[in-house]
Amino acid sequence: MAPELLHACGLESGYGRVQVLWGTELVVREGETVVLLGANGAGKTTLLKVLMGLLEAWRGELRFAGADIAHTRTDRRVRSGIAYMSEIGCFPGLTIEENIRIGGQFMTAAALRARIDELYAIFPAIAQRRKALASSLSGGQRKMLGIAKALAGNPRLLIMDEPSAGLSPLFVKEVIRALEGFRGQGLSFLIAEQNVKFLELADRVYTLEGGRIGFEGSVAAMHENDALRRAYFGLK
Amino acid sequence: MLEYSLLAGLVFGLYFCLVGLGLNLVFGVMRIVNLAHGDFLMLGAFGAFWLFNLSGLNPVWSVFIMLAVFTALGLPLYYLLVPRLQRAKDPEMLSIILFFGLSQVIEALATIVFGPSERSIPGRVFGSGPVSLLGQSLPAAWIASAIASGVAVLFIYLYLYRTRLGYLTRAVMVHREEALATGIDVDRVSAIAFGIGIALAAIAGVFAPFMLGSVTPAMGPDINIQSFAVIVVGSLGNPLGTILGGIVYGISLAFMQSYFSSWANLLPYVLLIFILLVRPSGLLGRQVRSA
Repeated sequence: MAPELLHACGLESGYGRVQVLWGTELVVREGETVVLLGANGAGKTTLLKVLMGLLEAWRGELRFAGADIAHTRTDRRVRSGIAYMSEIGCFPGLTIEENIRIGGQFMTAAALRARIDELYAIFPAIAQRRKALASSLSGGQRKMLGIAKALAGNPRLLIMDEPSAGLSPLFVKEVIRALEGFRGQGLSFLIAEQNVKFLELADRVYTLEGGRIGFEGSVAAMHENDALRRAYFGLK
Repeated sequence: MLEYSLLAGLVFGLYFCLVGLGLNLVFGVMRIVNLAHGDFLMLGAFGAFWLFNLSGLNPVWSVFIMLAVFTALGLPLYYLLVPRLQRAKDPEMLSIILFFGLSQVIEALATIVFGPSERSIPGRVFGSGPVSLLGQSLPAAWIASAIASGVAVLFIYLYLYRTRLGYLTRAVMVHREEALATGIDVDRVSAIAFGIGIALAAIAGVFAPFMLGSVTPAMGPDINIQSFAVIVVGSLGNPLGTILGGIVYGISLAFMQSYFSSWANLLPYVLLIFILLVRPSGLLGRQVRSA
């Protein structure tokens, strides 16, 4: 079994006096793709914000690559190898190339140039329009740009918040295909989603219900669970 | 008369770009309203006045001193005031109250230190006679102010669009939370922008004795109104929108002073009300608001 990369234990957090996470536990291993399934309001975005340091953890432990990061600033978490792709994914008022450069802001100029060329080779659709504003891209292309931006800094873990949000089924397939290309390269993924299509990518699945982890296991194990099949796949 | 008004308007327009530029940069990056902007301009003006009076230093050299001093002052001032504001529920509204208080403190201290009298620097420091430009004669100090303003605008353009720190600054302007999530040290970027913002105000202050006639510790609120007119006409939150706002304001002011001089003081208020009613996003509107 691969070593643990991200380990969250007993996380509690929320907004103001409203508690959203109740002792949430989660592990992502090196090279693993983990999908966090949950309905709207389950606490997925809140959990991801706590993992990134965008929201304070009230209680609990959080370790990345063995180091305690529970009170580490977001920019230092990113520098240590965690990238985050929010639902927005990119800066619409900046050009495509500027967006990718921001993703690789901690790299040297030469390394970043080489990385940008690599990413343009992987995403030719955005490469053709590198000087255009990100706001001129379609929803699907913006997601591709969001992935390129998040991967520009060569992270060890990419955390994604609902990459399917606002996309047609066709574009969802494109995003899944793009992510498949990065699997097996040592990169770990934590993908928060409602769309079960993303289970195609998953090595393991967590379900989040009311700020608590409800299920943890493989996709096959999830299919064997009647309650989960009904809840997430609409099957009887 | 028409040609003179147009040319003087362009010169004043460039100067008012400089007056509004720092306020718009600070608002664009931090979404806070720096009501002490006019007071930093006043401090720059008094700095240049005293440097000239005590050591005969030409105001051109004061520009570099003000740039260094106020950028350095802006960094600790940012960390003292702004991060606390950003954590509040309504930082924009709170910033108005907090910076209004700061403005009052600066004005009161400046009155105690400098006295309430009007101060000025003679225009001859830039040369003995007027400068002929496109067939019109303009004071050399006006031309120097316009050149300094043009250089400052160019500097801000290069900073925002040609440097790494610049596109990180624009990213914060576009979406602060996304910038945080991407790992940008938003406080560092904002502190630098705040320092540059108040330094631009102080540089505009260096030329205030020539462009605005004289300086007093109480001039801050009037400068704020003029700055708001400039940035609202251009595009609130986009520093380069200030260029258009400044030019429109400068030309309008020159025409008002030439043809309806007794009404000229009403101009900033009329422009503000007109733009807010007719085109609240400014003349450049959405096209550039996202930086």
